[in-house]
Amino acid sequence: MAKKTRQIAIYGKGGIGKSTTTQNLTAGLAENGKKIMVVGCDPKADSTRLLLGNLSQRTVLDTLRDEGEDISLELIMKEGYKKTRCVESGGPEPGVGCAGRGIITAIGLLERLGAYTPDLDYVFYDVLGDVVCGGFAMPIREGKAKEIYIVASGEMMALYAANNIAKGIERYAKQGGVRLGGIICNSRNVDREAELLRAFVKELGTQLIYFVPRDNIVQQAEIRRKTVIEYKPDSAQAEEYRKLAKSIEKNKKFIVPKPMTQERLEQILLEYGLMDVPND
Amino acid sequence: MHEAAKEKRTNTIVHPRYGCAIGAVYSVAAIPGAVPLANCGPGCASKQFNFLSKGNGFQGAAGAGGGAMPSVNVGENEIVFGGAKKLDELIQSSLRIMQGELFVVLTGCSGELVGDDVGSVVRKYRQAGKPVIYANVAGFKGNNLVGHEVVLREIIDQFVGQFVGNSKVKKQKNLINLFFEIPYFNTNWRGDFIEMKRILEGAGLRVNVLFGSESGGVEEWKNIPKAQFNLVVSPWVGLAAAAHLEKKYRQPYLHVPVIPVGEEATSAFIREVVAFAGINPQKSEAFIEDEARRYYYFLEHFSEFFSEYWFGLPSKFAVASDSATNIALTKFLADQIGAIPVKQIVTDNPPEKYREAISRLYQNLSDGVSAYVEFIEDGYLIEKEIGNADFSASIPLIFGSSWEMDVAEKLKGLLVRVGAPDTEEVVLNRSYIGYKGALTLLETIYTTVVGRKQ
Repeated sequence: MAKKTRQIAIYGKGGIGKSTTTQNLTAGLAENGKKIMVVGCDPKADSTRLLLGNLSQRTVLDTLRDEGEDISLELIMKEGYKKTRCVESGGPEPGVGCAGRGIITAIGLLERLGAYTPDLDYVFYDVLGDVVCGGFAMPIREGKAKEIYIVASGEMMALYAANNIAKGIERYAKQGGVRLGGIICNSRNVDREAELLRAFVKELGTQLIYFVPRDNIVQQAEIRRKTVIEYKPDSAQAEEYRKLAKSIEKNKKFIVPKPMTQERLEQILLEYGLMDVPND
Repeated sequence: MHEAAKEKRTNTIVHPRYGCAIGAVYSVAAIPGAVPLANCGPGCASKQFNFLSKGNGFQGAAGAGGGAMPSVNVGENEIVFGGAKKLDELIQSSLRIMQGELFVVLTGCSGELVGDDVGSVVRKYRQAGKPVIYANVAGFKGNNLVGHEVVLREIIDQFVGQFVGNSKVKKQKNLINLFFEIPYFNTNWRGDFIEMKRILEGAGLRVNVLFGSESGGVEEWKNIPKAQFNLVVSPWVGLAAAAHLEKKYRQPYLHVPVIPVGEEATSAFIREVVAFAGINPQKSEAFIEDEARRYYYFLEHFSEFFSEYWFGLPSKFAVASDSATNIALTKFLADQIGAIPVKQIVTDNPPEKYREAISRLYQNLSDGVSAYVEFIEDGYLIEKEIGNADFSASIPLIFGSSWEMDVAEKLKGLLVRVGAPDTEEVVLNRSYIGYKGALTLLETIYTTVVGRKQ
């Protein structure tokens, strides 16, 4: 029985919690016996540390730089929590070379080395901040991730970024099958956050697939290099991530987003009080 | 008809007539003693060689051109991780292996796209007293003519400038810098430089020709600031360098947009230059007299053939070439041979700001003769325009590149190759300009005519 691997890309503003969310989500799916590969597409290379725990992972680009092109898959792929396969593309040193091209090179190498085995249920791409250039769009080009989730919060810049990412998705949706699966809110506990997010997703034509509440336990787990699910499996936050995993697993709503104009976005933000100028 | 051509203009080009900006590696290679370092992918510089040298009169290469050119050979690693390290290694080994007095790093698209800091790599060598400079000539910045201009400017600023710190350098009377054709790109450049230097020396001047067999090489470049003035003999290439030198070293410049071909134009050119230089015309007039005597000795013989050849000579002509060659030929043929210009197409994509001035050059080519000039780069449109030109009963005479072979054949016309690419001739020191070159040009044109298969 041939099963279809779901390839999913997670985008979002830098520092919004993409990597934390992706890894906890992955842990939730892995608990249910799903076979998963996580590909970190960020020069910071921190997309798999919670899954790998104390294992040290060499990035694809570091390995390429040191060993040359003739490398085996074992050198760049390690198994983490519940046999999740973990890869970090890595990047050049800051300020030199082209990180976007690095992502293309890394994914190209993974394909050549046969990392995409048919037994995989999921491949997750955790992609740096924004679709800043063609390289960072690599995971959503033809044949790669067809599902995208954007991690956002009720903060203004997070929504600006989410709207920009939607523009990138819209572009690629016209050429291929890539679709937006929804927005994941990684709550920052700002006022009227859920309301704002709901208004925002409605405008985009998508859904708020899950609202992850803020909990300090996430930070405590991170310090220990663990996902919350591994660190405190009985905690309420672990349950939240399991529910997120379930929502993703069951999701059937995939759309081509309708990004907003800058004016419309600011209007929505104003409506929900974000851009209120305090009275003198 | 030109309106129609404009409407149909697309962004695609078939049958290209120029290289890309990295082609400027050949401007550097044309300076005796200078070594270009190609900081680009392995195919970039070799393609330029194929187009500018091999496919353009099989010119070959001397010094550090052709297969001897050092190259970074940028690959995927250099794109992802940056190419600075490999460039550094290349400069080191080039300084060890290549004999050169000036090394110019020319960066192509890849390094420019990923933002390699070439300046900082090169700076290290300059601080150590090595003659290494750099120029950004990514192909996306324009064609090889644009690249040539960039290289002129960078050598002046980074190399010439270091020998002369200020604008108060003592000028040498009668010494001039020549900004003229583009090495390799202009098929006859080697012969043309020889003839141009001969003419200017005949006029009583000393000339820094900067490129080719007559150049004093890198040493000559160091003397640029000492020149009394700069002479630009080209419709637009070299003007930017002259304007820059005017500011930098307070050197005036004389712009002669039309390369002189034939006795009348060349003698007038000499007189214009001599007047600008403010030198005694005694020597130049004696030179002119001697040249004119010789020129008309041959022209007298030629005119006998010209008027008595019973089997029909072409009377209408078209030119599709770079602006410098185009206006020079058109002027000579219209003014001296009495041929009628029916289609003049400039193919080197001159910057917009020069186009009006170039168009004006085609007014009053001779008494009552003007031509309309079109700027087209796409071979498909060029062929179409020539194909639709009105040659009436005349044998179509077409001056162009090897790309015009098909249309010439279709029109049962004659093709004289005057620009890149030229894949049916081996060119060494041939020239079609000045006194001597004009006679060679007549030989070429009318050899083509009398050798025509009936």
